[in-house]
Amino acid sequence: MPDGRVLYAGMSLLDRQLVDRSGRPCGNVDDCELEEGPTGALHVSAVLAGPGVLATRLGWRRLGPWLEWVGALVFPSPVDRPQRIPFSRVSDVGSAVHLAVDADELATMAGERWVRDHVIRHIPGNGHDAAE
Amino acid sequence: MKRALEITLGILTAIGGFVDIGDLVANAETGARFRMNLAWVVVVGVVGIVVYAEMAGRVASVSGRAVFDLVRERLGPGLGLLNLLASFFITALTLTAELAGVAIALSLAVSVHYLLLVPFTTFLVWIVVWRLPFETMERIFGLLGLALVVFVVTLWQVGPDWGSLLSEATHPHVPSQETPFTYAYYGIALFGAAMTPYEVFFFSSGAVEERWGRSDLNVNRANVFVGFPLGGVLSLALMAGAHLVLAPRGISVDSLSQVALPTAFVVGKLGLACLLVGIFAATFGAALETGLSAGYTVAQYLGWPWGKHVRPREAARFHLVVMVTLVGGLLVTLTGVDPIKVTEYSIVLSAAALPLTYFPILLIANDPGYMGDQVNGRLLNALAFVYLVILTVVAVATIPLMVITKAGQ
Repeated sequence: MPDGRVLYAGMSLLDRQLVDRSGRPCGNVDDCELEEGPTGALHVSAVLAGPGVLATRLGWRRLGPWLEWVGALVFPSPVDRPQRIPFSRVSDVGSAVHLAVDADELATMAGERWVRDHVIRHIPGNGHDAAE
Repeated sequence: MKRALEITLGILTAIGGFVDIGDLVANAETGARFRMNLAWVVVVGVVGIVVYAEMAGRVASVSGRAVFDLVRERLGPGLGLLNLLASFFITALTLTAELAGVAIALSLAVSVHYLLLVPFTTFLVWIVVWRLPFETMERIFGLLGLALVVFVVTLWQVGPDWGSLLSEATHPHVPSQETPFTYAYYGIALFGAAMTPYEVFFFSSGAVEERWGRSDLNVNRANVFVGFPLGGVLSLALMAGAHLVLAPRGISVDSLSQVALPTAFVVGKLGLACLLVGIFAATFGAALETGLSAGYTVAQYLGWPWGKHVRPREAARFHLVVMVTLVGGLLVTLTGVDPIKVTEYSIVLSAAALPLTYFPILLIANDPGYMGDQVNGRLLNALAFVYLVILTVVAVATIPLMVITKAGQ
């Protein structure tokens, strides 16, 4: 991200598609984390993604943390808050929010990996490329 | 030939939307009950879907974002979720009816009870979703669906007085044996069938599946301007055929086999064979359209990887949603619910949710951040705004009319 570009997080960031380094969709910007800088101005320090985050933002204050707890139980992660993607990993903001990481490294994709490994992988033909 | 094949997405989308199992019966029923007095609604509906599908396809081509992505982005997560729940419910309901519809179409040919065929046809739908490339799928079912042109042939063979048919259609009134409420109810059903939201979900996602870009804007226009009017012509021909052939004989329409009667009377065996192929393709196409749309809407709302342009294991949750929806639809169908009633309800209910889908499309089509120089022109915006007003009025009137008329009785 070029320094100093002014973005209205509510308009340009929230609810946009997250896309990884190779262009694969990897969640939505479900919420943002704000941090106060030395001058007292707020800036976006991280984007947050995941059903728990979304539920909290929708005002379901019990369901949200519970969903995050269940998520951490089913998909254990070495990171403290796996829904958090530091803003330093964001490479561009356009009609989608581009990340400079691979979807496989993201904890927010744990659900996708679980379904892939436990359900889809067991069905014949799961790896065939329909585009060919 | 190659250029002609590029418009199969529009043809499949329109056939799956306009002449699927519920619409086949609803159109024939409307013709038998209201003659050509509701024909104008089909025209209004075709213009509406052309306006909004063109926008949705253009947004998908320029920005790579499909419709439900935009819904979430512009309506926010709360209203977006409400629309997701409503749209998913309607789409899954329609899918349920189409699964039965494919089986009924087959049962007309092989004389086996349709409930015995439903598990087989559901499995077929899943195999196509799982294995067949998107483009192949759209070509096979789009082209086979063209067999429904036999409706137009039927009308031609009847040899009606075209002038009086046209003047009846252009001077609409409420027939004496009907009330203004039933007239309005059937009008909404026809309008809702033309503008069912899963058409834009499927069409815009299809544009992304086929990797349309800025250079494909002409392809988008061709798809929209050929596909949807074709769907409208088929539905009008069916209506007129039922009016001319069934109404004088006092036959009312409430099942798929009666839809086939005018063609069977007038064109004969070959016509009937064409009709069965066409109905099979249209219902199967609609099952694919709704089944995939169920996956598209959920995946796009939540930002998951989706689509047939990647390997199934790279869009695992998307395929899981489609599978679960298919199994759910199969179970509901096996209870023996009347698939025609199910689609009629789902079409009318979808009319209540329409503005929540079409409003975000209009907003994004005007956003230079997404569209650059491809934003809407003034004339298009004026037309789109008129339709937004119509959609809102229809949405408000739908449920009360459903209650007053006891769903059109």
